[in-house]
Amino acid sequence: MNQMTKPTPESQPPMLRAKDLTHRVRLENDTLTILQGVNLEINRGESVAIVGRSGSGKTTLLGLLAGLDTPTEGSVELDGATISQLSEDERAQLRASRVGFVFQSFQLLPALTALENVMLPLELAGIGDPEKRARELLERVGLGERLTHTPRQLSGGEQQRVAIARAFASEPVVLFADEPTGNLDNRTGQAVSDLLMALNREQGTTLVMVTHDEHLAARCARQFHIEAGQLTEPNELGEPVS
Amino acid sequence: MAAEQKLMSVRRDWRERDVRVVLAALVIAVATVATIALFASQLQRTLVTSASSFLAADRQLEAENGRPIPDSWLQEADARGLETGQMVEFSTMVFGGEGFQLVSVKAVSNEYPLRGEIEVQEGPDSPRQLVSSGPGPGEVWINPRLLRLLELEIGDSLEVGNLELTVSGLLIREPDGGFRLSALAPRVMMHKDDVPSTGVVQEGSRVEFVYLFAGEEAALEGYYEWLQPQLEPSHEWEGVRDGETFSRSLQRAERFLLLGGSLAVLLAAVAVAVASRQYALSQRDTVALLKTLGLNGAGIGRLYLRRLLLWGVTGIVGGLLVALPLFWLLASMLSDVLERPVDISLDPAALAPALLTALVSLFAFAYPPIRRLRNVPAMRVLRSQPGESGREAWPDMLVAIVAIFGLVWLYAGELALVVSLLGGLVLLLAALGLLGWGMVTVLRRVRGGGNAWRLALVGLYRHRNASLSQIAVFAMTLMLAATLVLVRTSLLDDWQAQLPDDAPNHFLINIAPDTVDEVAGFWEGQGQPLEELYPMVRGRLTELNGQPVKEAVSKDERIGALNRELNLTWMDSLPEDNEIVEGQWFADGDQDGVSVEAELAGRLGLQLGDELTFTIGSEKVTETVTSIRTVQWDSMKPNFYMAFPPGGGLEGLPATWITSFYLPPEKNTALNDFSRQFPTVSVLEIDHIISRIQEIVQQVTRAIEAILALILAAALVVMAAVVSATLRDRQREGALLRTLGGRQSLLVRSTMLEFAVLGGFAGLLGVVAAEAAVYALQFRMFEGSFSWHWQVIIPIPLISAIVLSLFGRWQLRPVLSVSPMLLLRRLE
Repeated sequence: MNQMTKPTPESQPPMLRAKDLTHRVRLENDTLTILQGVNLEINRGESVAIVGRSGSGKTTLLGLLAGLDTPTEGSVELDGATISQLSEDERAQLRASRVGFVFQSFQLLPALTALENVMLPLELAGIGDPEKRARELLERVGLGERLTHTPRQLSGGEQQRVAIARAFASEPVVLFADEPTGNLDNRTGQAVSDLLMALNREQGTTLVMVTHDEHLAARCARQFHIEAGQLTEPNELGEPVS
Repeated sequence: MAAEQKLMSVRRDWRERDVRVVLAALVIAVATVATIALFASQLQRTLVTSASSFLAADRQLEAENGRPIPDSWLQEADARGLETGQMVEFSTMVFGGEGFQLVSVKAVSNEYPLRGEIEVQEGPDSPRQLVSSGPGPGEVWINPRLLRLLELEIGDSLEVGNLELTVSGLLIREPDGGFRLSALAPRVMMHKDDVPSTGVVQEGSRVEFVYLFAGEEAALEGYYEWLQPQLEPSHEWEGVRDGETFSRSLQRAERFLLLGGSLAVLLAAVAVAVASRQYALSQRDTVALLKTLGLNGAGIGRLYLRRLLLWGVTGIVGGLLVALPLFWLLASMLSDVLERPVDISLDPAALAPALLTALVSLFAFAYPPIRRLRNVPAMRVLRSQPGESGREAWPDMLVAIVAIFGLVWLYAGELALVVSLLGGLVLLLAALGLLGWGMVTVLRRVRGGGNAWRLALVGLYRHRNASLSQIAVFAMTLMLAATLVLVRTSLLDDWQAQLPDDAPNHFLINIAPDTVDEVAGFWEGQGQPLEELYPMVRGRLTELNGQPVKEAVSKDERIGALNRELNLTWMDSLPEDNEIVEGQWFADGDQDGVSVEAELAGRLGLQLGDELTFTIGSEKVTETVTSIRTVQWDSMKPNFYMAFPPGGGLEGLPATWITSFYLPPEKNTALNDFSRQFPTVSVLEIDHIISRIQEIVQQVTRAIEAILALILAAALVVMAAVVSATLRDRQREGALLRTLGGRQSLLVRSTMLEFAVLGGFAGLLGVVAAEAAVYALQFRMFEGSFSWHWQVIIPIPLISAIVLSLFGRWQLRPVLSVSPMLLLRRLE
């Protein structure tokens, strides 16, 4: 469990593959199409940014890719497993063992200390000595002195660093980040994204990030644009290809 | 100002869950307190009327000396606006039909009875009916047994002394058929005006004149104050509350109702406190926003104060809308039980406690956290500020606790009740402190894993503050509810135990010493063995430590026992239902000393070693108090204020024997044989007294059940308040746990386990605290004896654990049914 085997990219299918993803939500007397026929492949170890305006459907896409929700049509494969064929518990198992999350609003539990927040996924995954690993990670993100502080006692940047430590705690193979700097000022955002990228490199994680920040997106190997539920990947010249 | 008003709307408030809980708590508080107060006042009036009818009046004055009281005494009563009536009671032989019989005559004036009704039959097979006056002149009503004994028929004539009267009815039940010793032989009721013509009552004959009084309580008290200095020792003034048998049931019922009301107040206050604190927390963003829009602290204060008042009015109106129909329902149930119409009336004064409860709950519990809203900084709009630590709420808590216990005190009028409940709560808090400390030290070592148990324990540790306050509220709720259940159970058990189905319903009195064995043999032969037989000597307590007793005892003490002859007895072993509270029971062979009933000893201020002198006929007997014992007056067995050892002070004095026994109704005819065989033994039938007591018990039981239901509703509101207070946090946590890969089943199991542990602890603490409170209450208020109630100590924590874990499961519902994605967005 501790050490996920990471075979070489050539011999393996892509880490993430979305086929004809469509997602609709039913409103009172109407259906709203949020995503329309999205196709996407992301390889192991790649870093990918999905850029789009508010309401373009990017967070929904992230949720579907991460298995937090199931699409109306189409399928998602994560590390070889077809998410839509898994039960809720199997999806949870998948998330616990292979997926990490960073949210725009940090999503730390207010009652828990920084240390306890980071320990949470380790405890869920049943990984031995969660406290030791959580301490190491918090030290790695520069919060070694703030272990017993609760989210309230931490600044926004610090909270997001706790969230990043939590995301990497269970050594995920893929990390999903939803506007990780969206609630932070420029300088803090910069520091947080540096940290995110650095950890990502160190651990060889696949990174899928949703953002409307072009600078942050530019730090990823690939960028996709999403608009009105449609995904496009610009080519080297910046022109959209389907 | 206009903006402030626009911000206020009950409809908008209603959408807030916390406001709904506050309103529900207020409605229940007002409804419970109002219903209880209204019903208690109704019940009390009914019971007093019902019990008054035992005297056929509110007060009786008995003259045992064979002389009527001066006319001026009755004129004074008239002048004070009291109704009066008269009775003359004597025993005589009557002749009729085939023979003669010793009877007990009660001759009544037109006014009799002032309270209650007489139950009569026109013939042996006619329906029974209730009438409100006795037989007219020239008529006589007789006991059905006498009809059989003399083989009479309705319309026959019966000779009483020189007068011939017509038997015009059968006397089934008289309202004042108590334990009067002169009322021994079969009863004959006639008109008082006929008495002189009988020639039976002459100077020196053994006659009792009884005077009835009814009217306003104040007028009765005033009259007694006027009368008291003129009373002679042979005069006995009796009121309902002096009646040993009934006043106890009555007092306990009243106290229970008040206890129930007090608990409802406490529970509702807790619900209001929890919900309004939660409401205040949820309003902080709004307040910050209003401040940035230019509203100042004072404006915020006004805004929320007005909102609070609006809730108050809504709560009071809603509560009364619930209380009134409930009261009518209970009151009409009461009249069903009594099988007679009850005069239902609303006592406006009874509504005061309900209004006071609403106001105190609002201002002592809801206002403080809401008042602090004005201190929320506008900066909060930009940057989330640390929330309340809870420490600033302590002074408010103290004020609130004082306020609420003050209210309970005012309401129940019993310091003992307040002290008992407060004691239980202090114990609870101490136990909680200990539990908190234990939780922190023990649970800190637990490390989570995939295991639901460990996750649950880690969860408890993480939410230690929330967990402890939840345990506190649940435990308090359970304590209050358990207290009520325990008191109710022991109250009903006590009554049941005192009046089992085969409780003695007949007394045999005046058994001559040489026929004791024969009498016992007769009933043995009938398959109805007698209870213990006791010798009885009539005597008066005249001196206390050599001083005349009336001087030795403060004049303020109205002690019926001093105004009349006491039944004295000797016995070698203590009756089963008596209990020695001080001193020692007579050892074998002891011939000295006297054992005194505890309550009388208390009122006379008697101590072990005091010397009592009794006047028995022309003899004086002096003995030292060697023990003080309690007596079950309502056991329907012979009971004695004074007991001597065999061969002691009463040795050689003329005694007759007394006993009681149960005779099933179908064997009633055996009484006729018995009366023929033992004409001098008097039979006292007390079936109707027993059925009266059972009626009272039944009324109170109904009321108790209804109140218990209200209290449980209040407890549910408290639970809802507490649950709603943590709902959001728990849902967020659940959503996050699922996002981070927690399986649903793990989440469900760990949450249920966490709540089960919470519920188990709360249940245990609640029950122990309830036992402590009940111990104090039993001891001080209900005069019962205390024992551990294993029947609740084990199931309540268990049930509480199960219920709370289901509650926890229920809380998780939205977390499980929605995709984690949606949930996180929704909770953001």
